[in-house]
Amino acid sequence: MKIVKEALAGTLESSDLLVKVSPAAGDGLDVVISSEVMQQFGAQIEQVVRDTLNALGVTDGLVVVEDKGALDCAIRARVQTAVLRGAEVQTFNWSALS
Amino acid sequence: MTDDFEFYAVDPAASPDERHAIRQLLTRCGLDYEEHIQVFVACRHEGRLVACAGLESNIVKCCAIEPDLRGGSLSLTLLSEVVHLAYERGHSHLFLYTRPENVSFFQGCGFYPLAEVPGYVTLMENTPVGIRSYCDRLRTKRIAGAKIGAIVINANPFTLGHQYLVRLAAAQCDWLHLFVVSEDVSFVSYRDRYALVEQGVQGIERLTLHHGSQYMVSRATFPDYFFKEKGVVGDCCTAIDLLLFRRYIAPALGITHRFVGTEPFCETTRKYNADMKYWLQTADAAAPAVTVIEEARTRAGGTPISASEVRRLLRSRDVDRIRALVPSATFELLQDKYMPKIVPFVPDLAGAAGEPDAVPRRAVAAGV
Repeated sequence: MKIVKEALAGTLESSDLLVKVSPAAGDGLDVVISSEVMQQFGAQIEQVVRDTLNALGVTDGLVVVEDKGALDCAIRARVQTAVLRGAEVQTFNWSALS
Repeated sequence: MTDDFEFYAVDPAASPDERHAIRQLLTRCGLDYEEHIQVFVACRHEGRLVACAGLESNIVKCCAIEPDLRGGSLSLTLLSEVVHLAYERGHSHLFLYTRPENVSFFQGCGFYPLAEVPGYVTLMENTPVGIRSYCDRLRTKRIAGAKIGAIVINANPFTLGHQYLVRLAAAQCDWLHLFVVSEDVSFVSYRDRYALVEQGVQGIERLTLHHGSQYMVSRATFPDYFFKEKGVVGDCCTAIDLLLFRRYIAPALGITHRFVGTEPFCETTRKYNADMKYWLQTADAAAPAVTVIEEARTRAGGTPISASEVRRLLRSRDVDRIRALVPSATFELLQDKYMPKIVPFVPDLAGAAGEPDAVPRRAVAAGV
């Protein structure tokens, strides 16, 4: 899936996260995480984000995450939503999302 | 708790009642109402307006929360709402100004500090990679040399004065980086301004022409609001712009000197030039100093050439005198495209349609 425009999903509220995606300036994926619990879960959050992007077939783009202590399922859902919005996808392959 | 709070967007121009309530809330919070805000996110709790945040294009302004409701999650909801609203309106790269003591709060909302005038103000942007990737792009155009110059011009429109300054600076430097202000709010469109500069500097060697950016003489870097204390106004407005230049842009390109034309007419511009010397050279900053070189403006028939003079002549349709002040390409474009736009004989009608000096007024006053 290709990110073609800037898009946003989520909120900054506690236990949620705000995900911003934008088209790649160069090649490859740039994932930037900022989290209230960076120390404890930073690596895991990044892994969940990258796995989700991988499952969606996103190989290029900038993904910025402002995390407020969200669970993995919330992270996956917000990343999926932001990517689908940014890729302007109208038809979903639901099995790839689960 | 958030369930009791209703968020909605308000067009202040279309709803006087909402505007009045917002103004009162801002007053209670010690803030002034900003006339240029196009849309507000407002929040009501049991019918009472308790929070608001405004957008002027991509700049977040007038964030306020009723004092008795602070410290909870309301602020994060408010900021989420305003960021979503900005995206819906097509603005993803956001800026905001705040007092340095509030920086950590906005950092919790996804904003990152760019430049600070200690004790007064900090400019923040809503991306951790914005200025970094901009500087990475600039760095690819870096040219090694002992004396690397820079000029920032609005060129509204490009005159023989600009051409003279560029030529003079290029002759003194190992390389010259020329930036055209990209904020498209001037009388002459950005596309035209850039094209005229490109044509006008052809044949000048050791020069790179750059598109301007949000980080340089833009609406974001020239806040002509926020400061009420007299004296501080002028200082801080130019300081943020100049500190960004010194801290990010100059190091990325290895710029050692910045060139500017002297200002014979306008007091504000004279002040901007003085500010430039202070913030680029004198002020304490982590980044190395950039030497400011002020060159006397070139003259035509005894009068220094300036773009504002050209715009003034344009208003009075003084075609022959314009011809003596601008390169032929500029003259032809003005005659074909911009002359018909001018409503003749409307002196001092500030803010009216067709007024060449739209915003950013400070940037224009700064003579760039």
